[in-house]
Amino acid sequence: MPAQHFIFILVVCCGLGSRGSSAGEIQFERDILPILQTHCIRCHGPEVQEANVRLDILSTNLIEDRAVTESWHEVLNVLQAGEMPPKDEPQLSGNELSTVTDWVSNSIKAALAARQKTDGRVVLRRLNRVEYQHTMQDLLGLEMDYARDLPPDAMSADGFRNNGSSLQMSSLQLEYYLATARRAMDRVIVQGEQAPAIDHTFTATSIDNWLGDAERSNLLGRRQEFLVKMVDNYPNDGDFLVRVQLTADLKPATGYPLLEVSVGYQVDTEILMCEFDLVEVTSPESQTFEFRGRLENFPLPVRGQGKFPGLVVRVRNVYDDKSPLPTPQKDAGGKTTYPGEAHLPILMIQSVEFHGNTYVQWPPDSHRRILFDAPGVDREDTAYVAQVLQRFMTRAFRRNVTEAEVARLVAFYQEIRPEFPSFEETIRETLALVLIQPDFLFLLEPAGDEKRSLDEFELASRLSYFFWSTLPDERLIELATAETLRANMAGEVERMLADRRAQRFVQQFTDQWLRLNVVDNVAVNRDRFPGFDDRLKQDMCAETHTVFEELLRENLSATQLLAADFTMLNEPMAKHYGIKGVFGRSFRRVPLSPELHRGGLLSHASILLSNSSGADSHPVRRAVWIRDRLLNDPPAPPPPNVPSLEEANPEFHRLSVREQLEIHRTVESCNQCHRSLDPWGIALENFDAVGKWRTDIPQSAGDGANVQSVNATVVLPDGREVAGADDLREYLAGDRKQQFARSLVSRLLTYALGRSLELTDQSAVDNVLEQFAEDDYRLKGLIHKVVLSEPFQTK
Amino acid sequence: MAIKSWHLDRRTFLMGTGVSLGLPWLECMAKADESPVPVDQPARRICGLYFGFGVALPPENHEHALWRWFPQGEGREYQFTETLKPLEAQREKLTILGGLSHPNGRRMGAHDTADTFLTGAFLNNKLLVNTISVDQVAAKALGDQTRFSSLVMSTDGGVGEPTRSSTLSYNDKGRPLPALYQPQQIFDRFFAAGDPDTIAERRRLKSAASMLDRVLDDSHSLRNRLGNQDREKLDEYLAAVRQIEQGVERSQGWLEIPRPELRDEERKALHLDSNDEAPLQFIRTMYDLIYLAFRTDSTRVATYQITNMADCSSKAAKFPQLQGFKDSLHTLAHDWDKPGGSERLGQWDRFMAEQFAYFLNRLESAQEQNGTLLDNSLVLYGSSNSVTHDNNNYPLILAGGSEMGLKHGRYLKFSDQVPMSNLFVTMLNRAGVECPAFADSTGELNELLS
Repeated sequence: MPAQHFIFILVVCCGLGSRGSSAGEIQFERDILPILQTHCIRCHGPEVQEANVRLDILSTNLIEDRAVTESWHEVLNVLQAGEMPPKDEPQLSGNELSTVTDWVSNSIKAALAARQKTDGRVVLRRLNRVEYQHTMQDLLGLEMDYARDLPPDAMSADGFRNNGSSLQMSSLQLEYYLATARRAMDRVIVQGEQAPAIDHTFTATSIDNWLGDAERSNLLGRRQEFLVKMVDNYPNDGDFLVRVQLTADLKPATGYPLLEVSVGYQVDTEILMCEFDLVEVTSPESQTFEFRGRLENFPLPVRGQGKFPGLVVRVRNVYDDKSPLPTPQKDAGGKTTYPGEAHLPILMIQSVEFHGNTYVQWPPDSHRRILFDAPGVDREDTAYVAQVLQRFMTRAFRRNVTEAEVARLVAFYQEIRPEFPSFEETIRETLALVLIQPDFLFLLEPAGDEKRSLDEFELASRLSYFFWSTLPDERLIELATAETLRANMAGEVERMLADRRAQRFVQQFTDQWLRLNVVDNVAVNRDRFPGFDDRLKQDMCAETHTVFEELLRENLSATQLLAADFTMLNEPMAKHYGIKGVFGRSFRRVPLSPELHRGGLLSHASILLSNSSGADSHPVRRAVWIRDRLLNDPPAPPPPNVPSLEEANPEFHRLSVREQLEIHRTVESCNQCHRSLDPWGIALENFDAVGKWRTDIPQSAGDGANVQSVNATVVLPDGREVAGADDLREYLAGDRKQQFARSLVSRLLTYALGRSLELTDQSAVDNVLEQFAEDDYRLKGLIHKVVLSEPFQTK
Repeated sequence: MAIKSWHLDRRTFLMGTGVSLGLPWLECMAKADESPVPVDQPARRICGLYFGFGVALPPENHEHALWRWFPQGEGREYQFTETLKPLEAQREKLTILGGLSHPNGRRMGAHDTADTFLTGAFLNNKLLVNTISVDQVAAKALGDQTRFSSLVMSTDGGVGEPTRSSTLSYNDKGRPLPALYQPQQIFDRFFAAGDPDTIAERRRLKSAASMLDRVLDDSHSLRNRLGNQDREKLDEYLAAVRQIEQGVERSQGWLEIPRPELRDEERKALHLDSNDEAPLQFIRTMYDLIYLAFRTDSTRVATYQITNMADCSSKAAKFPQLQGFKDSLHTLAHDWDKPGGSERLGQWDRFMAEQFAYFLNRLESAQEQNGTLLDNSLVLYGSSNSVTHDNNNYPLILAGGSEMGLKHGRYLKFSDQVPMSNLFVTMLNRAGVECPAFADSTGELNELLS
């Protein structure tokens, strides 16, 4: 269940003392406290603190204490919603109620006004792992796993991983920033001559004795592989290229062959590492595919050791239609062979080349980008070093740097130069210093206690980290330098969203907003779902990503996230949903007819699986997800020390989940929350754990032979009856459209700003929401509005 | 339901910082500084191990009573149930503790208490400020004598989120310390040979020290240009810089001392490629790493959060399923009182006990000058729920330390008037960290010593 832990009020023990009047004529001690004493203190006082709320000593100093403001705000909420006092307790009179709510809301208004200029500020935040990875890669032009050693980033309470307050800096983190910078610099800044090229061409598989029961062959079906090995003559590092030349035998009414190239071999695990993305081969003609990598990023064998020395390259066709596998046969020589599978596509390998130390020029580009060519200049000359640093720092800090800043780095260079044996090593170390500066690691927007407009460079960074998770590109920097970025905002947003890198926004935002990553932590029950392939989880998430991407690209209504007549599918996902005629790995628009019961996030397998137990649906988890992620109205967390249910009914486990939850709700302490929770999830009971449609549910216990038919008709907390998933989606897209839109605006703004929203952001959200509604909730339009909003434009 | 006015803010989360809380540990520090443990004394160690969601506790007359985590009987006269039977061999080297919990934890959310297992702090729902954990009190006092002051590990790594943390350890500011989670990385950090070129290594250390100096110097003018909130963040960064500076100094001191030699069989037994997809091997590898760190005296303080209460945000959520169980960790724990549930969860509890027994056996297998490695280590194993959702009566085992004055072989039951912090005070004092009080402690747990 997503963590919920910010619902109830804290007991503020500090900041007491100012309990006098702070709002107009109503006086707290005289007018408010007696009402609280009568109606609230018995459960929220010195004796008992239901839900951790204690009102008799809650400070009234809202102006200086933000926590107190939030607490009183919660009081206001529950009073206005009629949630408190509980129904079976004496209620406040109309007069009492308005006295208290007037006092609270006026006090909050006063506190907000006092804070308007200082609150709602973007907090200094460091790059998260994803941003650090992309930033380093784009800055240095070197492919490397930069985030490898960094601790996982903390998630904020509202579910985001780019939240300035949550993203911590620790000595461990900083230590690995330095180590990573040095590791990268050792590769980027080269010394000496280029290592000689190493070239191999293979036309036939060269290993007989190998792990597994695959057949060695040039003709690749499901059970064959093309496997070659370089025993001694291979490089240990540097750029390399694998070139595969092949033809394909395509088959009608089935998918395309999938080319998989793996390099390296890890002794410990005795497996090849698949490091390259799969390639779909869609033409039968002879063609060549190139795979480039950096050997340090691959698992290399220890030279001369182990049972299987040598660097291995493996080529396979991993297309699988999930039909039964052919039975292995032994040929005369005792080798394993498989009968051909005429219905499946085949790859025919003509040759596989391996080229080590493949540099287009020496020193490589990434080196020259930093140590630029300057004919006739002594590289050790301070002026050259200063220029190198000035260029590098400008890009790394994403702004103009001052001469003084450069001079400080030059001074460091000069200080350590005598210690280091070479110019290159000294420069590496100096650049590493740049890469641990706060100006690089944090999105710095220096500002005092008053809000101010962003300068153009800061704006460029906000945009590039919002859409691309990386530093601004040259054009953004050019515009910022000319101070014309703000004037060209709309065009730049369009340009950035059209760029491939905008997929990072789609992926990061949807993953975090919708908590898609959770699929990886749900183990699918193999008894219930034999043959479920874990790789499908990626495709499930890709459906959600690509649907969002499609709505964004076509500027369609975001309400299609709730209900839609199309979705984005590839072959494995279409098969999963029982939709015929979709072949190939790429996702494309697939129209949906009503009998498929699909369309909208609540029918995405990604979301249904991540909110299941892996064996069956999990209605409570699904309900919490809807309330929290879609409607931004998360239920309260389970209270402390929940009594365990003494299930008096011995037949309890024979009941459906729906019936179990009904019994659950007969316990009053459970019912308080679950009555407004369970129906949301029950309505989706037609979807099983992996998101397939079902009309019967196998029993949760017992012999499993009995099934019950699904009853997904529920009455929602607002009294509306909803008949199952289709009805729920229509209801959400209709009656709850506005609430969903507000939720989406809030989440998007939260992600764009890298901070949680506060009271002071209320008007900005209202503002964006209003324009969003006027624009028929178009998604790309929303992005434009968020970028123009006051919180995004100010620090 | 209509949208409430101000609704937005209901979900906001306070960036509450700067609240200063009482710091009872300061006293511990002072005393420890006055009388540091003499170097020639045997090394004394502290280790904290945690699992989330509690255990199965069917009543003693229940048909599945043999899957009740707590033993039958009391004192020396107790019998393990099926659950803890794997620990039979170490019976005389451990004590089962019943009835203890953190009084603050009892007031917290059902799944919120993993954060405070080793701290005893109160985290309310908005102001999520923790306090120092017992292991870090020990690390402050004992850390100078080893290459690393502590080893902090978890299955998920990092710090997680407040109330769903993925680390057990908190520093003196109450900030979570990121946990390491990749066996290879931990191994490289603690045991890899380092650069054979000590001149180059020294050069890098010296240059790092100079870098950090400059970063600190340059930050003054930056700091002046920042608002209050940003200053707090920058200060966090600067604190990290200062800490690394100390780390660099420390590394310089250790540079000439060769990295510990591991025995061949120790190297061979390690599965550094293991990850959360194979829980048995992964948990054992993490235990192996603590064992090696202690055996080589690379550190004297270690924590490992094996599983936590983050449910599906945690990689450990599916551990039981990967071990052949039908349900996820949370479901197993949640359904313990359903028919057959206590047996199912009990089997998992036993699986965990088997791994713990493996760890104790490893510690027991290494002989030191006086006693075994286990006899010179205090290992606390347990959870902050008894059964899921219940923040009372933590299932706890204290193992080891026979050479540190601990008397074992018993199942001790305590009243809920005894805060668990009393156990920490005793653990610290036994480890050579003189400590009159920790968090909400009211005294010591002298029963452990007699």
